[in-house]
Amino acid sequence: MGGGSAGWLSAGVIAAEHRIDPQARQPIEVLLIESPDVPTIGVGEGTWPSMRETLRRIGLSETDFIRECDASFKQGTFFRNWQTGAGDTYSHPFTIPTGYAETNLAPHWLALTDAPQFADAVTPQTALFADCLAPKQITTPEYAFVVNYGYHLDAGKFAELLRRHCTKQLGVKHIMANVSRINAAENGDIRSVTTDRAGEIAGDLFIDCTGTSSLLLGEHFKIPFQSRQAHLFNDTALAAQVPYAEEDRAIQSCTRSTAQTAGWIWDIGLPTRRGTGHVYSSAHISEDEAAAQLLAYIRGIAGEKAAGSVVPRKIRFQPGHRREFWHRNCVAIGMSSGFIEPLEASALVMIELAAGMIAEQLPPTREIMDIVARRYNRKFSRHWNQIIEFLKLHYVLSARNDSPYWQDNRAAASIPEELSERLLLWRYRSPWHQDAGAVDDLFPTASYQYILYGMRFETVPHQTFSHRQQQRQASELFRRNAARAAQLKQALPGNRELLDKVREFGFQKL
Amino acid sequence: MSQYQILNKERHRRLRIRTGFGAALGDAVMCVMTYPMEFRDIQSCYPILFTKDPNTGGFFAAAVLGLEADQNLFLQGDRWDASYVPTMVQRQPFLIATGGKGDDKPPVVSLDPDHPRVSQDEGEALFDSEGKPSEFLQQKIGLLEKLHRGLQHGSGFIDTLLQHQLLVQVVLDLAFADGGKKTLQGFYCIAEERLYQLKGDALESLNQAGYLQPVFMAVASLSRVRDLIERRNRLRV
Repeated sequence: MGGGSAGWLSAGVIAAEHRIDPQARQPIEVLLIESPDVPTIGVGEGTWPSMRETLRRIGLSETDFIRECDASFKQGTFFRNWQTGAGDTYSHPFTIPTGYAETNLAPHWLALTDAPQFADAVTPQTALFADCLAPKQITTPEYAFVVNYGYHLDAGKFAELLRRHCTKQLGVKHIMANVSRINAAENGDIRSVTTDRAGEIAGDLFIDCTGTSSLLLGEHFKIPFQSRQAHLFNDTALAAQVPYAEEDRAIQSCTRSTAQTAGWIWDIGLPTRRGTGHVYSSAHISEDEAAAQLLAYIRGIAGEKAAGSVVPRKIRFQPGHRREFWHRNCVAIGMSSGFIEPLEASALVMIELAAGMIAEQLPPTREIMDIVARRYNRKFSRHWNQIIEFLKLHYVLSARNDSPYWQDNRAAASIPEELSERLLLWRYRSPWHQDAGAVDDLFPTASYQYILYGMRFETVPHQTFSHRQQQRQASELFRRNAARAAQLKQALPGNRELLDKVREFGFQKL
Repeated sequence: MSQYQILNKERHRRLRIRTGFGAALGDAVMCVMTYPMEFRDIQSCYPILFTKDPNTGGFFAAAVLGLEADQNLFLQGDRWDASYVPTMVQRQPFLIATGGKGDDKPPVVSLDPDHPRVSQDEGEALFDSEGKPSEFLQQKIGLLEKLHRGLQHGSGFIDTLLQHQLLVQVVLDLAFADGGKKTLQGFYCIAEERLYQLKGDALESLNQAGYLQPVFMAVASLSRVRDLIERRNRLRV
């Protein structure tokens, strides 16, 4: 129920996994009910590399996806002004450090004098950011890469493409109607929903993709919402689309995140425009001031004229999530399950993970549904906690003192206990494989390294025997990485150049 | 990229074309494009592999002449050591040019004035004293016509192969007599397992398009890789 990115991605992943098979003993039917009167929110323009696998899984061609969603390649995030506010920068790329499986380069990097920035020292990917280079060539097959990448995309066009693909290729039934009543079964499950123009629709499993209104899980089942604003203060966004200063202006390879006095501004390059927005804490700054900061930023990237023509759209949100996500025969995906600021673009990846788990674990009988639901709830509670912890990490490491917002963000009471413990630990040992909580952690330990050392966190390296033994190996990895960076800068085309070629020729499938 | 000029009796009257073979004449190339109608001749001497145009990512069939960039193992000084020389080598410095998509203009003979085979004083004349095409040029035009027919016939070949999923990536791990090793990447060959599973209609449509025989020629040509390795071994002795 619900037709935004959450609804269509879930429908696509589930339908693709259970493709109509005449041999199947229990063929399943996927129906998507979309209200003709509720517009989709249409933000969430950044994906993780996982989206490549999700699109492949539902059988979309990457060429079609790029052409129809105005997509571009995203290779990570570039942070500015997060540490001191005086023009400091660092990157969180999608590629893990070179040799990460065998060698932890962080302590070796910490011991270097006159070292390049952490990410630049350990991965060739960040060298591509400055020149707006693409992660692959036109000869690279679709969904394959030279360096790991996800996408920036137009969320509205994405939902549109998914709708066409789901209904035409995957057999998803699309029903345009408003749900007027939710009908309970005797055991407390949802038996059916009554609609204004498509009658009563019964189902075995109801997926709530109704956005913040959370009509099934929140309204009907009264699963309480758990605010996480005590940790993450941001609750308002002002979003604005900005035209390029010149039509052929280079397209950024990463999301740019620029910290402000009470929040941060995102800047996402699509082939046709830039998507920007200021996400901030309404308790720390007025809307007028926040808008002024956004306009000043837009003036900086696109000029006075562009800044004069934009009309920011305001989006309010409560940072947090439902206490549980799968209740009886109803599971919430997307904003109906929760929402946290888009600092690490976690919204779409959470939808992919949710849809993936439901598709794989789809209970064939009602009897086992409660077991699957409990496991699902445990897993997604863990994911939400990690998102909150990982996002908070960006704030607590800041040395900014120019506003109460940054000071409040470092107040002990606002820091999740687990994170405080880890930060204490990491003063003596840099994170590595032992710091992973589970194999399916949303953020790998390498991501913690990128944020910690990008933000100049100090770990006093503890010189163990294996550390000394690996010194030569580490210098070799640093050297190999620099050589690879130089080679890639020669070999890879610009983002815009490659996107133009995709438009003209397309990627080959092999 | 070379700027081709449409061949013109006045403009190119005095030009001569160096014949024979040699690295200085532009023959030191690792592979040259080929087309299905030529596969039978190509496979008698060279492996046929498929590779991608770096500019468009599109596939094309290539006769492989060497195992690294600018290496032609069939070129021995001024001699081409094989019984068949690929059309795309023989046609130099000419090209048969057609308009873009949807353009029905007849093909015209063009030439690359910057090609090392083009000379003012050496080689075969293009036109005789009366301005008529020389016998040499007539031969080349005949060759270009053959090439043109071949390219037209082969224009749907790659799409057909892709449609039947008949291409598969191949990584050639080569070991030489001197202990040297080489991995050749970026090549594709006919997916034989898929080919042998093709059924009636698919086989018939391939056959009617004149593509079935070339597919098997491409499969057979892979034995020629051994010859390339032997040539490479002799090179280092």
